[in-house]
Order: sequence, then structure tokens, then C-alpha cells
Amino acid sequence: MSKIRDRSIDIGTYCPQPDDQLIICRCEEITKGEIRQAIYDGMHTLTELRRFLRTGMGPCQGQSCSKIIQGILARELKISHLELEPAMSRAPMRPIEMSVLGNEVKGGE
Amino acid sequence: MTFERAGAVMKRYDVIVVGAGPAGLTASIEAAKNGLKVVVFDENAKPGGQLFKQIHKFFGSKEHKAKMRGFKIGDELLKTASEVGVEVVLNATVIGIFPDKEVTVNIEDQLIHYKGDAIIVATGATENMVTFEGWTLPGVIGAGAAQTMMNLHSVKPGNKVLMLGSGNVGLVVSYQLLQAGCEVVAVIDAAPRIGGYGVHASKVTRCGVPFYLSHTIIKAEGDTRVTGVTVGEVDGNWQIIEGTQKYFEADTICLAVGLSPMSQLLKMAGCTMEQDPKKGGLVPVCNQYGETSISGIFVAGDVSGIEEASSAMIEGKISGIAAAYSLGYIDEESLVTKAKVLEASLRSLRQGMFAPENRGKILDKTEEGYDISMNLLKRGYLTEEEVESYPGVKSKKGIHPVIECSQNIPCNPCQDACSKKCILIGEKITSLPVVDKEATCTGCGMCVAACSGQSIFLVDESQEEGYTYITIPYEFLPLPKKGDIGLALNRSGSEVGQAEVVKVKTAKAYDHTHLLTIKVPTELGLKVRFFKQLQEVLV
Repeated sequence: MSKIRDRSIDIGTYCPQPDDQLIICRCEEITKGEIRQAIYDGMHTLTELRRFLRTGMGPCQGQSCSKIIQGILARELKISHLELEPAMSRAPMRPIEMSVLGNEVKGGE
Repeated sequence: MTFERAGAVMKRYDVIVVGAGPAGLTASIEAAKNGLKVVVFDENAKPGGQLFKQIHKFFGSKEHKAKMRGFKIGDELLKTASEVGVEVVLNATVIGIFPDKEVTVNIEDQLIHYKGDAIIVATGATENMVTFEGWTLPGVIGAGAAQTMMNLHSVKPGNKVLMLGSGNVGLVVSYQLLQAGCEVVAVIDAAPRIGGYGVHASKVTRCGVPFYLSHTIIKAEGDTRVTGVTVGEVDGNWQIIEGTQKYFEADTICLAVGLSPMSQLLKMAGCTMEQDPKKGGLVPVCNQYGETSISGIFVAGDVSGIEEASSAMIEGKISGIAAAYSLGYIDEESLVTKAKVLEASLRSLRQGMFAPENRGKILDKTEEGYDISMNLLKRGYLTEEEVESYPGVKSKKGIHPVIECSQNIPCNPCQDACSKKCILIGEKITSLPVVDKEATCTGCGMCVAACSGQSIFLVDESQEEGYTYITIPYEFLPLPKKGDIGLALNRSGSEVGQAEVVKVKTAKAYDHTHLLTIKVPTELGLKVRFFKQLQEVLV
């Protein structure tokens, strides 16, 4: 599923929209405007947006917002959301305290 | 047997199942039945996934546990799972799947490593959200949350609820909200047609709930919580048509706008994934037995494509058997024979007008060639003229069933319910039920209670001069009593006159669907389909 996108394409410049103040990622409180701005700053993949803005990195791990952000990104890039590489999935799949992560236990016994 | 790695000794299972919902439980049962040592991890405090929130009767045929309520299916599965020796570990969050089928689980703040020879991922789905001004206000909730509050914790989600989404989830939850005593102010959907089963829509409509298709939420009103909703009509490009704004007073907005597979664990494990809009999003590529691109990692249920619990349970069985085969517990012949039966059962559920291949299509005829009611798809009810065109509706002297079933959906309990052979569906379970005029209806009411879509009524014009007796399925409390006078509502939920309760029948075989017989003037016999209690009106 690895997709190569041409980064040199010109998507124009960021124009404010009336609903830019809408919160999209509730956990990290990131607005639509911030996401759109980041796209015009060069974040053309979901993973980049995550790293740049922390969208989808809060307690729900993107369960509410990832599809919405996918839609925003696809619209700004003027491509289908199917062309977007999904964001990285890695452990821990759920938020976990460092103390738990460090508390490895032998064999469940 | 244990494995040493990085200082941690891992407990080994033949199969590790992730998720104790309908798919995960059936998968683990099948695997355990074939002799495998199985553990199921679920992050929730209670097993069953969504099953225990499903208080309605399921569709399908007997083999799919049709006409059983979801939570009872859940009870049955848990009982079987414990009988066959499945170990179910709750409050156990799987946080990763690593090479060589190593699974790490957070149990009681300890990170425990397990090793499976096979893994079945049955993590289900997550609810989609939509954004609009005010969507983060308290009072905007997912339909699943509403179900959790009502059906698991007996908490009323709100008093006045607006439902966004007319798929089966939106329709079923709207009905359950009514049952919980909430007022559903409207069901709205941006799509031009109702997405779920017509019968589900009809039972909501006849309670007086209006549908607004091609409508979307413009704004959730309120400062600190939802106090109302402004909606508007959308054009073909999903843009609000100026001047169509409508305001509803509401304290709760329920979102039922689809589900997405919770497939991140599989992506992390390295399974080949694909974006499939028909399956609801990112899903693993898998073979007919639910095996992913990584040998020994299987999937079942919504995580591999959004469907419903009945098909999830069959997929679970298939992957359980396939896991048994992959570990050498059963031979290929046995796998093929068993899978063949299950695949046929799955196919029968995936037929009809709501079949995956028909998604997004506009059908105007049933398989039998009857016109599909556009009124049903747009307003949520069949008109009087339309009703009479279907094979389940025939006028006859004496008591007889009137089956207002007009779409090809996979469901046939009514056929089995009638011991007098009044109702015929035939081999293909999506066919419309046909009422045999020659057969003698005894008025036992089994068909009325068996219909998961609550679309069967008994009509009797011969009891009393000038009156028609109508028996309706009734699932609201308090239960009316004989002699009660109430409002007679038609299919669209409008009041058309008064009705008197002449009989209330409750039986174990009806499984909590009560049969209310009301009498209305004969000219209303073909119109009245619901009874509204007067005390309810006064409150």
C-alpha cells in the first residue's frame, strides 16, 4: 500500500474558511484551521500531520477524528481519500502509562 | 510450554483471540471445540461486545438465531464458551501484535507477553463522527453510547433526542430511545433515502417520529450543553439550501453515521491492508477463511468489513475452524465440509436489497417484481395503497395476518412461527412473505411476536359489527390494560381516532413482545397500526 506522492505539486495557498475554528481532534484540541494550515505548510500525509500537530495522538488514538482528518487532507490535496496512506499503527495500541509499559511480567503466571 | 525472550517468559496458547464480541466468542468456541487451547482478551469490563446492548430481535433464519434478542445470544455464547473451556480475560487490553505471533496485553497494570500459534483478531468497529458547529458540546453522543447508557446502565441519555443517521443503527437506536421513554424529535439523514430496513423505519414512524431525508445538522445550539439543533436541507452537492433551516428543541444529538473497522492491530502486525469503502475503511486483505496475508493471523467480524452481528458470528465460526486446520487439529476435508455449510449460511444473509453488492444502488423492484415503495424510503412508511400491493397483505373474512413486509431482507421467522402454514417464504430467505388465503389462521399471534421487524398485524373484522380488531406487537411500558382508551395512530404516526384495548396477551413464547389487540371503527381498520396511551399523552 505504499504510495508515492509528488510533493512538488502546487496546492495553492492557505485561505481561511468560516469553520476553521471547529475542533476536529478533541483529545488534543486541534482545529480544522490548524490542520488546513499545516497541509499548506507541507504536511501531505496523515503521519506527518500526526507528528506535526499531534492529531489522533491523544487518549482516543484517532478513533473519532482520523476519518475526518483524512477527508480534510484529501479535499485540500484534491485527491480521493483512498489515495492517502493510512497513518502509522504501532504499539501501544491504547494509551498506557510508562510505569505499565515498564512493568513487563513473565508469562502471565 | 514456554518461550524465553528478552527476559520475559511467555505463556503459550494455541489461539489468542482479541475481542470477546460475537465474532471473537464464536471463533473461540469453534477453536476450543476442535481441541485448541484458547484465550480471549477483551479490553472491556463485560464480554459480548455490542451484543448485550442489542435488546431487539435479530433477523435471519433459525440457523442465524433469528428472532432471538441480541443479549440472549450473548448469554448463550458465554455459556457455551465456558462449557468448551475457553478462557475469557476481561479488562485486558491488547496493545500490540509482534512478529512470531507475540501479543502483549495490559492486565491490571502489568504488561504481559503471550505467544499464540494462531491469532484471531475480532476487534470490531468504531463509530464514525461528523463535525458541525457545536459538535463538541455535551449532549452530542454516538448512537453506541446511547445504547450503552440505556441498555447496559439503565440511564436515559436525554429527554429530547435528535438522531442523525437513518441506517439500521440509527433506526434501531431511535426505537430503543422511544422504549426508554425519550422523545425522538426527528431522524435526519443527508442521504436522500432511508439507509436501513424499511420495517425498522416503519416502527419508528408509526410512533410519531418524523424523518427528514436530504437534511444535515448545521449547528448544535447551546452554550454549555445542547439545547437545540438547527438542521437544513442539502442539495445534490451536499450544500445547504438557503431558507430550508429548521430548528428543533433537543438536549441530545445522537450520531449514527456509520462504523469503521478497528483494524490498527492488524496493520501494526504487518498484514497487507486495503482501503475498501464498501467495507467501511481500512481492512486486512484476507482469504475466504478470514486468514490475512500473515499465515496464522485470522480476522472475523466488523474488523474485516462492516456488517452486522449475525454475519460476524458465522465469520467467527469459519475463522475458528480455519485456525484449527492451520494448526493441524482438523484435516482439510473437515475444514472444507464445515466451511461450505457456513459459507452458504453467510451467503443467505448477504442476499437481498441490502446485500453488500447492492449498497448505493437504487432498486425500484423487489426480486419478485413488486414496486419498492419510495414513500417508505423517504418518509418511513408505506401508504395504504402501497401496502395492499404486497403478497403479505390479503383481505379475508375472519382473523388473518397482515404482513407489511415490502423489501427483500434476509429474514424468515414468520414462516416457521405459523403452524397452520398461513405464511410462506420458501427456500430463499429474502423473499417477501406470502399469505395463503386458503389456510386457516387461528389468531395465535406467534407470527406477530416472531417478526423481528414488527411488521405483522392480525386483523379481524368479524368480531363486532362496525369495528375492526387489530393485534399489534407492543414493546413499551407501562403495558396498557384491557379497557384502556387511547389514540389510534396510523402508519405515519398521525392520530386518526380513538382505540380501545380489548386484549393484552403476554406469553413466554412471545419473548417480551406483547400482543395488544385494539378495536377501531371498521373504516380505520386498514389505517391504524399503533396505539398511544392517553396517560402518556397527558405527561
